[in-house]
Amino acid sequence: MTNELETQRVKAMVVDFLVERFELPRERLLGETPLRELGLDSIMMLDVMLDVEDRLGVKLRDLAMPANPKIDDIAALVERNLASAK
Amino acid sequence: MGQRRDVVITGLGVLSPIGIGVPWLYEHVRENRSGIRVWEAPEFGIRLPAGRIEQDFAGEFTKLELPYLDRCSQLAVLAARQAAEDAGISQFGNFGQRAGLYFGSVGGGVKVEHDWVQEFHVQRKRAAKPYTIMACMLNSAPAQISIRQQILGPVMTHSSACTSSGSAIGDAYRAIRDGYLDVAIAGGAEACLIPTFTALWTGLRALAEPDPVDVGRSCRPFDKNRSGLVLGEGAVFFVLEAHECAKRRGAEAYARMSGYGIASDGYHIGSPKSEGQIACLQAALDDAGLKAADIDYLNAHATATPGGDPVEARAINAVLADVPVSSTKAIHGHLLGAASALELAIAVLAVNRSFLPATAHLDEIDPACVLNHIARTPVFERPLRNAMSLSAGFGGTNVALVVSADAGMPTKSGLDVQSDV
Repeated sequence: MTNELETQRVKAMVVDFLVERFELPRERLLGETPLRELGLDSIMMLDVMLDVEDRLGVKLRDLAMPANPKIDDIAALVERNLASAK
Repeated sequence: MGQRRDVVITGLGVLSPIGIGVPWLYEHVRENRSGIRVWEAPEFGIRLPAGRIEQDFAGEFTKLELPYLDRCSQLAVLAARQAAEDAGISQFGNFGQRAGLYFGSVGGGVKVEHDWVQEFHVQRKRAAKPYTIMACMLNSAPAQISIRQQILGPVMTHSSACTSSGSAIGDAYRAIRDGYLDVAIAGGAEACLIPTFTALWTGLRALAEPDPVDVGRSCRPFDKNRSGLVLGEGAVFFVLEAHECAKRRGAEAYARMSGYGIASDGYHIGSPKSEGQIACLQAALDDAGLKAADIDYLNAHATATPGGDPVEARAINAVLADVPVSSTKAIHGHLLGAASALELAIAVLAVNRSFLPATAHLDEIDPACVLNHIARTPVFERPLRNAMSLSAGFGGTNVALVVSADAGMPTKSGLDVQSDV
């Protein structure tokens, strides 16, 4: 799988989770939308990370994110962790 | 300490087994209509009478809010909002650090906590969801209220069993009276109708069985045939305000908060002692500058346990002999951390609406509980100068609160259900 495909897969997974779990409008879940604008605080963000761990069966050791993260940042975090695990 | 300031009750919020909203509470108490229903958890063989609120309030919150909100917090947030709206205060932020929140509860977010324990032991999960601790900690509900209402002064949590909300209200009253605060939201919340919590009480053999004919009659304080307490859930909050502040903004008041007494038994973790209750009743009278003859109504703690009611009757007779007494737990059950708040709210309505609430189902008074009982039927058109509420908790803390009719400002009216849109 190319990096681009991997990125798309992780993004889609996060978006699905946010829609299912918090009933957030899918059309607003663009890569560039700051998640805080959608009402997600840092603790809910952590919950999203834990769900990603469960779904991918990996342990995310590096949870560092920018102050006001976007879905793109979550995807980047996951990829970073997957790469370092290889 | 500076000069004592008058404190008035300018807002009330109620989510209870006998009414969501003040007008409905008033109607239930006036008509002595029981909110005790059957509560069942068939998978555990549990079938109990309980003061249960039928509504599910999860729909009042977004999916992003709900993970932080045990039912206890949901009830508390909604009741506090109701109280603030009733007082006509949309935001407390303008008061800065001179607005406080005083909250009482026994279990707090007990369902979230017990569910997590089950996940740990049975599902063998080794890490909780990140928000779980914030949903089950005892100060979760008041924190949620302070965030929503922008209460920027003290946000305090009281836990002294069945007196939790009573001491919360009493301390809020003192803080305003003594000049530390101008306004406070004070009260309590409890959402304890979950199998693991009710089973704690089953183990005590303290709970009433469902009445075989009418479950609404299962709780019978002071009655010779009482069989135990009936647990209930709910949230009740007051807006307490310095008289001068309330008057300045043209508010109306239900009544004046005029006295607070607190005393401990120093005796036994689970058995009450009359002496502690006597000391607390006397302290409340002294604090209010009143004598027993000035009290026109007492809402008693009276949980309908065989052991507790006679101890309390002795205390009441020692301090408030001849004062009309009732226990409204007969219709709403024991709300534990919210009990004092609900019963004080009923005492406030009694003063505000000039009537004496009754003890429902009090058919045969226990000879060990002889008092000036208002049995079965409320007494109407009876102006009350001052009313009291007494609570006594496991651990031996006792709280008495006094409210008075002379608020020194326009009185809140419009409590009929029809007027509540």
